[in-house]
Amino acid sequence: MKNHRMRLLAAAMLMLAAPAITHADALADIKARGFLTVGVKNDYPPYGYMDNNGHTVGFEISLARYIATQLLGSPDKIKLVPVNASNRMQFLNSGQIDMIMATLGITPERQGQIDFSNAYVSAAGPSILARNAVKFNQWAQLKGQKVCGVQGSYFNKAVTQNYGLQLVNFAALPEAYRALQDNRCVAMVFDDMSLQKKLKEPGWSNYKIAVAPYEFTPMAAGLRKGDDSFREAVNQAIVKAEGEDKLIGWEKAFDMPPSPYIAQQAIAARAATK
Amino acid sequence: MFGLDFSWLLDPTYQQWLIQGVLQTLELAAISSLFAILIGLLGVYGLLLRRAWLDASIELFVEVFRNTPPLLQMLFFYFTLTQIGLTTLDPVTGLQVPVVSAFMSAVFSLSLFGGALCIEAFRSGFDAVPKATLEAARALGYSRWGMFRHVQVPIAARICLPPLTNVLTNLFKTTSQASVITVPELMYAAGQIYNDTFRTLEVMLFILLVYVVLVSLVVWGIGWVQRALIYPGYGA
Repeated sequence: MKNHRMRLLAAAMLMLAAPAITHADALADIKARGFLTVGVKNDYPPYGYMDNNGHTVGFEISLARYIATQLLGSPDKIKLVPVNASNRMQFLNSGQIDMIMATLGITPERQGQIDFSNAYVSAAGPSILARNAVKFNQWAQLKGQKVCGVQGSYFNKAVTQNYGLQLVNFAALPEAYRALQDNRCVAMVFDDMSLQKKLKEPGWSNYKIAVAPYEFTPMAAGLRKGDDSFREAVNQAIVKAEGEDKLIGWEKAFDMPPSPYIAQQAIAARAATK
Repeated sequence: MFGLDFSWLLDPTYQQWLIQGVLQTLELAAISSLFAILIGLLGVYGLLLRRAWLDASIELFVEVFRNTPPLLQMLFFYFTLTQIGLTTLDPVTGLQVPVVSAFMSAVFSLSLFGGALCIEAFRSGFDAVPKATLEAARALGYSRWGMFRHVQVPIAARICLPPLTNVLTNLFKTTSQASVITVPELMYAAGQIYNDTFRTLEVMLFILLVYVVLVSLVVWGIGWVQRALIYPGYGA
């Protein structure tokens, strides 16, 4: 409730502030203003969430603070505005925020409306968790097989249509894990990052990721169209962070499975600066 | 009007889910109703035998299964039985797999829950058979089974039909809870579709309509039996 009120207040203040923002040169405006305004998630671990003290933290928050340090000299010269998937584009285009860093996937539809920075994460889609003994390693081999899942997962329709999985969908994640351990299904399909985390828990040593994700969504910061100098500055900051292995450090800090994409980007960033 | 969007009904995947859902709901309702009626008949026959230990057992059965939520019973049959070791070896994978499938768990729980309600419904019917009729049957030399079969059931059945309609329509609607243990019936299909399309209102309205039609058919069917069985003086 309190948080909600704070958000309303923040939104109201932003609306009052909005007309003051001119769109001529975003980078110059931000430097004149003295802080960077970033739309972030606060309910989506590990990318952006509230810690036990009520502070918004996460992988994307750390990167946003790094960018603020590069642009303005301090990680605290930043204002974090909570956004969600349905309002973040409007917040950006109406000038209430300078940049979206809120699990924003690069899609052709969005590219028509906003610009993107370099992709800093390649988010894995669903993968398949199964016992070590299983022989399958391709999505196509799961045709007609009973696979446990969770109701409401965005990929349920896609895996049914494209790979013919016979989904056994539970209302909640713990029930699906239970059913997999009871051998009610040959495997389980879910978001790769969650499954990787599950594998590290005690009692899951007999299991493996049997089939790798069939898709990866590059995630990037969203910027207003035409803010080219600002985008250039953001990209330079991202490359610098990659080269300094900052992203790998945040992966570890927020308990994310090591991503090959981030490792490659780190090598590429160092190669480019040599 | 109201910005309702029913275009998801044209999607072949959703159509397949819905058709499968209706078939599973009908199958689940039919099998469970059959077993519920059988359990009801057995239970009420047991009560007529007037043995103290049998009365107490049937009473306990009714109390347990009528007074606990069917959803809890389903979850019990689905998860608990497997965890206390009711598993079997699957020759294909060499793994211990559960004996009781999701569908079986739902049938068990709905049959026992419906059975407990049926016993109560039937008991009221049998209690309403006039004492004088039973005395007359006894005077004519009917055995206990013969009296049950030829005198009590025909009269009680007619009196029972209205409460039985209630029990069976309730049982039909309770099949929707099997969605929680992943039986792909109508409610499960609905959940899948609105989670995918976010057209919650439209999907709910549609499912509501399907249930109204299906349950009305059940009510109409029992009503037809009731009218066919009518004879002067008993039932309506």
